[in-house]
Amino acid sequence: MAPSRRARRIATVLGAAALLSASAGPVSAHSASLRSASESLSVPQWLFLLTGGAVVGASFLLVTFATDRSFVASIHEWRRPLPGWGLEAGRAVGSLLGVVALAGVIVLGFVGPETAVRNPAVLVVWVGWWAGFAMSAYLVANAWPAVDPLRAIASKLPAAGVDYPDRLGAWPSVVGLLALVFVEVVTPLADDPRLLASTVGVYAVITLAGAVVVGPPRWFADVDPVARVFRYYGRVAPIGWGESGFELRLPGMALTRRGKVDGPDEVAFVVALVWVTTFDGLVTTPAWGAAAGPVVDAGVPPLGIYAAALVLGYVVFLGAYRTAARVARRTAPTYLSVGTLARRFAPPLLAIAAGYHLAHFLGYFLTLSPALVASLGHPIAGAAAPVGIVLPGWFGGLELAFVLVGHVLAIWVAHAVAFDLFPDRLQAIRSQYPFIAVMIAYTALSLWIVAEPTLSPPYL
Amino acid sequence: MTVTEPESGAAPVPDADVPPDASPVECPHCGRPFVRERQRDLHVGLQHDRVATDEERTAIGRAADAERDELRRFRLKALIVLVVLYFGLLFTYSIVT
Repeated sequence: MAPSRRARRIATVLGAAALLSASAGPVSAHSASLRSASESLSVPQWLFLLTGGAVVGASFLLVTFATDRSFVASIHEWRRPLPGWGLEAGRAVGSLLGVVALAGVIVLGFVGPETAVRNPAVLVVWVGWWAGFAMSAYLVANAWPAVDPLRAIASKLPAAGVDYPDRLGAWPSVVGLLALVFVEVVTPLADDPRLLASTVGVYAVITLAGAVVVGPPRWFADVDPVARVFRYYGRVAPIGWGESGFELRLPGMALTRRGKVDGPDEVAFVVALVWVTTFDGLVTTPAWGAAAGPVVDAGVPPLGIYAAALVLGYVVFLGAYRTAARVARRTAPTYLSVGTLARRFAPPLLAIAAGYHLAHFLGYFLTLSPALVASLGHPIAGAAAPVGIVLPGWFGGLELAFVLVGHVLAIWVAHAVAFDLFPDRLQAIRSQYPFIAVMIAYTALSLWIVAEPTLSPPYL
Repeated sequence: MTVTEPESGAAPVPDADVPPDASPVECPHCGRPFVRERQRDLHVGLQHDRVATDEERTAIGRAADAERDELRRFRLKALIVLVVLYFGLLFTYSIVT
């Protein structure tokens, strides 16, 4: 979601308040620092994009040199059981913390300072939770089920026991994710503490009502988009639940396991997770303003344009992925169904999503975490002078590296999945051609967005 | 909701979609359809090694040899593409910047 705008808006506030007059530039350079990394190369944009695509293509070629089945399998099957000490206590403490944080966000959003960067509700949600906590979900382990305050509250409520229709599957969470991102893009959720608190409140009411109707296990397993995002991120993590319990594994290596993504609905969610990151960046490019301008002039309501672009772009992404799976049947060649290929090759995309999240949010998190800590000390009056950390110039290069690491991890995981799926190793390699082609196009698109100037989404 | 089983896997029911006009090569042990004989032979080698007949073992050996030779050729081509990619970018950078 929109780190760039959020960072910039908050940094603008910081700058305007003259709290950080010396470092407002670097603070605002969060996502812009990705851009400065591309600018510092002083190469034309087409060459920058070509290089990004070439790195992805070359990574694939390098990965194809690993053709020893037992070697590939040994890396993915490496795991160590972890003791489950303190998990119960951790869950109790986690859910208590979660409930306190939820109550705090809603209350302080209304009674805390109106300045976003001094309001603990804004900082806890965006810096603490969506940046910091989400990073922990794929870098360490997904602790969200233990912390989720709504799950804790819902478990204490009576359940109506209505059967959740199985055919809905994960589709409600796909719609929920797109709806959340829509709200996040078209409203100043990161600038207006009152609006943020109201939104969190509405989300809590919907979630609790839904959990009461179908029961918390079904709601949080199938419908709740936030729980699903964290669960999917958790599959990239080195710590998690395996077949034999709590375990340590190599990062991303659990993504090859069978049955991780079942059915087209879950594939659709994975693709949605990748698309929303792209959409969030796309609406801040000058090209978006230029394309939307004539449509707005023609009298179409801007919100309609945003909604249409969100849905259309998603359909294009989903279509591109399905097409890759269809073409893979011919390039392999194989008689495995398109649905099977789409399911098995979807989990690697989670590594890409995690890579982009880290690239977008690590700098944001580091820059604003002192403000978060300061605001917690003065939740109502607001901290006198929140300080920001100034990131060094090479940080932009580090962010580009995160994006590439996500892609390379995804290529490796897909390679291992293909080896598991196909008896012939050439068949496994050839099955990847269409997916790699789509990935190269996606990398070029993402780098183009990153390299474009970041504007506020227009007409809102 | 079906759990996907790989072509190389041991599950009896493959998640396959064979076009009506196709003539698939089927595994005699589990009925899994394949496009090529070599894929079937390698599958038998990976999954039904213990129950394979002598005739099948010969076919598995042939398929493995063919796969290894083709992999070797593929690696060579991949290496050439990597070198071309590397020098192509190097020259492009030296011209452009």
